[in-house]
Amino acid sequence: MAEKSVLVLDDEPIVGDRLKPVLEREGFEVEIFTESERALERLKERSFHVLVTDMKMKGPSGMDLLRFIKEKAPSTQVIVITGYATIETSHEAQALGAFQFIAKPFKMKELAKLVSKAARGG
Amino acid sequence: MSDPPVANRRTSHSPPLQRELEGAQRAILSRPSIPIRHRLIFSLLLCFILCGLFGLVALTRIRQVRGQLDLLEALEMLYSRSLRVQLLERQEGSSVEALRDARARVEEAEALLAADAGQRRSPREAEAYSKLLSRLADYRSLLGRLESAVDVQERGREMAAAQALEAEIAFRGRDLVHRERSSVARLLRSSEMLFGTMLAVLLGFFLLITFFFTRALMDPMRRFQAYTRRIAQGDFSLIRPARAYRDEFSELALAVNQMLAEFQTNQEKLIQAGKLTAMGTITSGIAHELNNPLNNVAITTEALMEDFKALSDEEKWRLLQDIYFETERAGEIVKSLLDFTRDERPDLVPVDILEVIEATRRIAQNEMVLNDVRFELRAPPGLPLVRGAANQLRQVFLNLFLNAVQAMPGGGPLTVEVMAEKGLGRLCVEVRDEGIGIPPEHMPHAFDPFFTTKEPGKGTGLGLSICYSIIQKHGGTIEVTSERGKGTTFHVCLPLANGEKTGAEGPRLDRGPAEA
Repeated sequence: MAEKSVLVLDDEPIVGDRLKPVLEREGFEVEIFTESERALERLKERSFHVLVTDMKMKGPSGMDLLRFIKEKAPSTQVIVITGYATIETSHEAQALGAFQFIAKPFKMKELAKLVSKAARGG
Repeated sequence: MSDPPVANRRTSHSPPLQRELEGAQRAILSRPSIPIRHRLIFSLLLCFILCGLFGLVALTRIRQVRGQLDLLEALEMLYSRSLRVQLLERQEGSSVEALRDARARVEEAEALLAADAGQRRSPREAEAYSKLLSRLADYRSLLGRLESAVDVQERGREMAAAQALEAEIAFRGRDLVHRERSSVARLLRSSEMLFGTMLAVLLGFFLLITFFFTRALMDPMRRFQAYTRRIAQGDFSLIRPARAYRDEFSELALAVNQMLAEFQTNQEKLIQAGKLTAMGTITSGIAHELNNPLNNVAITTEALMEDFKALSDEEKWRLLQDIYFETERAGEIVKSLLDFTRDERPDLVPVDILEVIEATRRIAQNEMVLNDVRFELRAPPGLPLVRGAANQLRQVFLNLFLNAVQAMPGGGPLTVEVMAEKGLGRLCVEVRDEGIGIPPEHMPHAFDPFFTTKEPGKGTGLGLSICYSIIQKHGGTIEVTSERGKGTTFHVCLPLANGEKTGAEGPRLDRGPAEA
């Protein structure tokens, strides 16, 4: 089975730093981004199996990326991380086809499990 | 009207407000009371007395003229009768009855003249009358003698004397008639003058009453109109005595003050509620901001625990360092939040405006970053302190900053410029955005309570009205200028802490230092 790819976007550098080794250990190919503009460019270049993105960021938001990816590569599963979960944003993300919605602070183990599940599902 | 003591009416106000209210009410009540009702009764009474007095004068005058006319008639009668007597005398052998009749008429005239003689004013007139009277008396006795005279010779002598006397009486009578006529004319002319003067005096008096009552009613009404305008603009400072006495309007002033005190209490609650609303707007930002370092600590700790044995000492140290700094970061966020909400006392003390702006910027930072709003502060060094309540001023600037962020959905610069205007004893802050601007038709309502252009549920419409009342309470001003599509600028000016021109700004400022 070929390596499944994951793009992790969070404007907090520590999130990517910590997640990268964990996800790599799970057998994923991981790319880390802290700026959504850059991540968007990368998503235009190639497709990923799973996209893990923060919700509120400077520049395009997690919702913008979700909308973009569902149009460009609907097979990509999206996990949205948010620092402040409201029912409205959760519903909106679900409606847009997000795989899962996860609130900060989260456990890396849980996130890794979710990513694996998403990768299998996708 | 007797009122219950003001202090007993309500006890819900905060102590300084209660004191202020009591002070104002006492000031209003301590003046001597001159009710409009009493003034009205007094004036009407005076009017009545004056009218009555003038009526009496007019009546007296009419009686006087009538007396004069009676006299004149008597004189004329005398004059014509004496002529008739003369005529009668000329007829030889006139009857005794005719003579007796003539004598009786002379007596009658004499009585009239004698009654009138007492009223003669000038000595010349009195003399003329007494002469006429003595001649009449002579004439009467002559007539008596004529009656009893039988001898023709004697009769002829007496007749000649009577004729001389008659001529004199006629002459004097004519003279007096003439004099009395001109006297009556004089009396009538002077009466005309008198009545004219009385009319003028009455008219003047009515005008005076009208003027004073119009003033007594209109002045307070105009004053209360100004009060209501001021109150509508959110200035709830209490009414102070404007005159040296009190009347029915003072009762109104007492009631309005009572109402204003209630308003102030409610406004303080409203400001508190507005603060919570503003905080609510940034709660998501703060939660987001706080969750980031917390999440970093959580996942870093997890990484440490999971791979504790596999990690090198250097890696462990790096992770621990992350935890340390992220904890510190979380602490900073909490601290800025506390900075923002601490200092609940609304006393006016010297405040560094830059500290206020910085604390507000910190709390709104995340909101700005997320909306691509760039914050720029322009302030010259060595700014003077303003007099204010830091927590309320932070609330004002938070509202202005959040407004600016909301006005620029696509992001943009938020410029804050601070300028000291020492000559005017104030310091001004401009909060400028390059957002959508306020439509001209909405400009007059910008600070109105409950006026909002946001969708239902997005804004209470209280933010700016609360800003307005806070700044007003500080004795400052807040204005807005806006250009559609180019942006909006809020101009906030506050009195300096040691400014000399701040004294006149409002009673609240004077209270500040005493309680600080």
